[in-house]
Amino acid sequence: MKIMKKVQAGTLQSSDLMVFLEPAETLTVTIESTVLKQFGELIRAKVDQVLARHGVETGAIRITDRGALDYAIEARLETALSRATEV
Amino acid sequence: MVTSLLSSDDLRQARALVEESGLSYEPPCDDLVGIFLSRRLVAVGARRGRVLKMLAVAQGHQGGSLLDEVVTELVGRGFQEGIDSFFIFTAPGQATSFERLNFNLLASTGKSALLEYGDGLRRYLARHQPQMRPGVSGAVVANCNPFTLGHRYLIEQAAASVEHLYLFVVREEKSLFPFDCRFRMVGEGTCHLGNVTLLDTSCYAVSSVTFPTYFLKEGDPGGEIQMELDLLLFAGRIAPHFHIATRFVGSEPLCRTTAAYNAAMHRLLPPLGVEVRELQRKERLGAAISASRVRELLFRGEIEGVAELVPESTLEFLLSGEGRKIWDKGERR
Repeated sequence: MKIMKKVQAGTLQSSDLMVFLEPAETLTVTIESTVLKQFGELIRAKVDQVLARHGVETGAIRITDRGALDYAIEARLETALSRATEV
Repeated sequence: MVTSLLSSDDLRQARALVEESGLSYEPPCDDLVGIFLSRRLVAVGARRGRVLKMLAVAQGHQGGSLLDEVVTELVGRGFQEGIDSFFIFTAPGQATSFERLNFNLLASTGKSALLEYGDGLRRYLARHQPQMRPGVSGAVVANCNPFTLGHRYLIEQAAASVEHLYLFVVREEKSLFPFDCRFRMVGEGTCHLGNVTLLDTSCYAVSSVTFPTYFLKEGDPGGEIQMELDLLLFAGRIAPHFHIATRFVGSEPLCRTTAAYNAAMHRLLPPLGVEVRELQRKERLGAAISASRVRELLFRGEIEGVAELVPESTLEFLLSGEGRKIWDKGERR
């Protein structure tokens, strides 16, 4: 799966996250979170897992999280990915 | 649900809510949105370019998610317009409520704080990582609209007194000459200097975000505070990243706004570890060389006068087809 356009999904509300995807030559993932110290690793692992499942190898992925649960992270990222690959 | 505020009744309610919250109602906006409960506006917010403003939630409705919803909508709409980093000016005491939304504090004075959402500053600094040089450096920030012998003199003097000089060209498109042309003129006019690196300021120095009055050139009470934020952002975040120990600036006998900026520089930068060196402006024909004087002469068609004040490379550009198209239309900006 290839990120074809700039898209966004999610909200800035508590227990949610905002996902921004952009086409890029390489893969970069940046995560900002109000609970980065406690859960940064877990968020990153979940993101990597979803990206790997969809075979995403390039793109700029930016996430700002406010303590979303892992299935919320998965759902928001999946949503953004399907928007980014829509024709 | 967050909706656009369009009707005159919407706007009346928006103004009332904004002013009730102690903020000033300041059109124009690119987006103005709000949330209604039983036909009463309880939350409002606006976006102008990259800046979010007039964010207010009615008394009795604070503490919930209304502000989050408004900011989400503004960020989402802005992102659709191609903006990926957003700024908020707020009272220092309010900064934490935006930090909770993943805004990062960029700079704070006693009166005002500047926050950013979207991690743009870090991405800006990372983008310029390959151009970084080791050792202690100096910096010049200049608009170069257009590049003059005065700029070249300042840069030569500065470059001669430091190991390495970063030359930040103002990115903002608020000047007669577009950024690309200014950047090219500066590049051609300084290519004889081996220790100068050209960078763009993005929106992190002398931009319509950090220092809007620079482009308005008139008195504005908010201007001074923003000018201070611009300098604190430079000293606190940009200078340490590039190991900049000295900022060079030309003396300013002509423009009041720039003179005030220079004065603020002397006041604010040294305590934060950045020395300020003000160099005497180069003169020609009895007056300091300035870009505004060059533009004045261009508009009057006095090319010989222009040739006295700009390097050959700039003159060549000004007289090229591309250059002429910019100034030769009898228009002033």
